Amino acid sequence: MAVRIVKVKRPTQPWSSMRPWWAVVVGLWVSTRHFFVNLGRFLRGSQDFTVHFPEQRFVHPPALRGMPVLVQMENGKERCVACGLCEWACPTTCITIFPAETNNEVERYPEVFDIDMSRCMFCGYCEEACPEEAIVMSRQVEISSYSRQGSLWHKEDLLVPISQLKTRIDYLRSHYER
Amino acid sequence: MAAGAKLTDAPKLVHVTVDGTSIEAREGEPLLQALLNAGFDIPHYCYHPKLSIDGSCRLCQVKLEGIPKLQISCNTPVRDGLVVHVDDPEVHLARRGVEELLLLNHPLDCPICDKAGECWLQNYAMRFGSRFSRTRDPRRKRQKRIDIGERMLLDQERCILCRRCVRFCREISKTGELHIFNLGDRSVLDIYDQRLDNDYSMCTADICPVGALETKDFHHKIRVWFLEETASVCPSCSNGCNIMVCTYKNRIWRLVPRRNDAVNDTWMCDSGRLNYRFVMDPERLRTPRIAQQNGQVDTAWEVAVQEAAAQLNAFRARHGGKALGAVISPHLTNEENYRFGELIHALGVERCAMAVVRGKYDNFLIKPEKAANARGVRELGLVAGNDDGVDDLLAACEAGQIKGLYLCSEDIFHVIDPDRLNTILGSMELLIVHSLKQHPLLTGAAVIFPATTFAEKDGTFTNHAGRVQRIRRALQLPAGWLTEGEVFTRLLNQIEARQEQFDLSFIWQSMARNGTAFANVRFEEIDPDGAPLHNLA
Ligand code: SF4
Ligand code: SF4
Ligand code: SF4
Ligand code: SF4
Ligand code: FES
Repeated sequence: MAVRIVKVKRPTQPWSSMRPWWAVVVGLWVSTRHFFVNLGRFLRGSQDFTVHFPEQRFVHPPALRGMPVLVQMENGKERCVACGLCEWACPTTCITIFPAETNNEVERYPEVFDIDMSRCMFCGYCEEACPEEAIVMSRQVEISSYSRQGSLWHKEDLLVPISQLKTRIDYLRSHYER
Repeated sequence: MAAGAKLTDAPKLVHVTVDGTSIEAREGEPLLQALLNAGFDIPHYCYHPKLSIDGSCRLCQVKLEGIPKLQISCNTPVRDGLVVHVDDPEVHLARRGVEELLLLNHPLDCPICDKAGECWLQNYAMRFGSRFSRTRDPRRKRQKRIDIGERMLLDQERCILCRRCVRFCREISKTGELHIFNLGDRSVLDIYDQRLDNDYSMCTADICPVGALETKDFHHKIRVWFLEETASVCPSCSNGCNIMVCTYKNRIWRLVPRRNDAVNDTWMCDSGRLNYRFVMDPERLRTPRIAQQNGQVDTAWEVAVQEAAAQLNAFRARHGGKALGAVISPHLTNEENYRFGELIHALGVERCAMAVVRGKYDNFLIKPEKAANARGVRELGLVAGNDDGVDDLLAACEAGQIKGLYLCSEDIFHVIDPDRLNTILGSMELLIVHSLKQHPLLTGAAVIFPATTFAEKDGTFTNHAGRVQRIRRALQLPAGWLTEGEVFTRLLNQIEARQEQFDLSFIWQSMARNGTAFANVRFEEIDPDGAPLHNLA
């Protein structure tokens, strides 16, 4: 693949406003707290240390990067315009897009949009590259399948109504200063 | 008038000081060109080296000492002692202002715009523009996706009114279809009484710095950043326009012209540009075929070569080499034709011909001979006569002097009346063919080799003016595939018990030793602009 690298000047941020450096402390605090909470339960004779999957489901925070999905707008159409930026950004080249033309107001849409979930590494680069907020990392993490073909997700499988993705989109807007 | 036409025959070299360093430039040439030649990256939209000066984009402004205001460098002729400042706060401010004005009403269609990735507005806006929009008013609406020609689309919102396309249609294609209507903020590019249908219309999409003019052929096909470019030569006529073959996933997506001032400047014709689909044609032969009792069957390359060699040897033992005729291909490279010349010499063939399809031409780029390398065959001395020996060969076939034919291309099917050809081919004892496709006239062939196209091999073509130019492999061939040159070499090895390889530089040495016209040129000198075989002075 012809790789042409253009250095883009990013706005510089002061060190103090960068991604919270104190996240390390928070992380340690979370682990420590869990340790003591579980220790307390153990001493009280309880067995409930983990979530009982699949009877119980964990509600993931919006920061979780689950499988990438396509945003489906209220009119049932995808938001994606097949610009190919996610395809280019994807480090594992697991996205395949073939664009096509329509007579809608947005004249371009993906005729084929496939993600090979067996290669996706949930890095979220596609989401960051997308200029249309059309591909986002969902909270869906149960993506195993019985065959290799089954791990190839097509456009119809990837479309998720925008109402279900609201938390992630709000999170993105606040987080990436869109 | 072209930008450099003002120059006298021997332009005087003068010195210009740019940001404190002195550069050499030709007197009278546009200062912008001199700066670009010296490696200063001056942004510009409307200036094009092959078009007249317009001065409409105002992006190329520089500071000239002694002149109070900034000047556009494209319309400043170079003179001795000019002192120029390009890295100057005033210049940077002017560039930022121009970018902001251009983006004021720009639709920012980048995600769906075919130009994105090679768009000068994108590139310069990222480099010189400010990152934020200060506009509050809604953007101006214009017509989009207007069908302005057989092969072209226009998006008026994206147009930055640089007038390159207008000047192209007036000065190069000389048809004048495009105009800018209205004034100031209401200016809009459009066609008026005729559609943009000239033979070079798709060049306007190349020179358009933004995605306002798009070709229908490439519309919404693929993003340009996926494309790999291979420098090559257009195979569609004997002009030999220099091109870039743009490929991705082992497919050609478009051909674009490559600048060569001695051949095609920066242009190419539409029919040449669109003539690439035959390479990916699903009906193309993919495996060689040999004749057996119950008709032709697919076979492996090595088997087909063995079969062809055996048939040729047997035929020669029966009738002698003189009874074999050869039709040489104007689509093969010089090296392949040279090797074929060695092969027919070894076989003792006396009658060779070359069939060239002729068609529409003009006095700009399009030439009548619709093949890239007819001149090369003639330069090698393989064919003679006004019709390249076709009549002589066919008459000998009809008279029964020739009983076997080796066809390097199927062009003869389009040149000679099919009924006549059918009778001739039907009477042949031996028929060996290189062909792109299966053809009804080929049912009697003993061996059919699939032909290899210009995009799948390395070599050189000689254009109508005797300029040798390099072509390069842009697509991968299936494993085991043999190009024509390799087939000829293997046949030669079998017939003369030689141990040759098909190696370009080796063939060039051999061509030079044997005193062909190609002795005047060294293989290494051909890149990137080609080399003339004969001194043109
Ligand atoms: S999350 Fe990463 S690996 Fe997965 S599709 Fe997006 S860019 Fe590719
Ligand atoms: S980056 Fe977004 S809009 Fe572009 S192809 Fe990917 S999902 Fe579609
Ligand atoms: S012309 Fe350039 S800046 Fe405008 S939409 Fe197309 S790619 Fe984007
Ligand atoms: S269509 Fe393109 S080349 Fe023509 S004036 Fe507009 S921007 Fe310039
Ligand atoms: S390039 Fe000089 S004004 Fe446009």
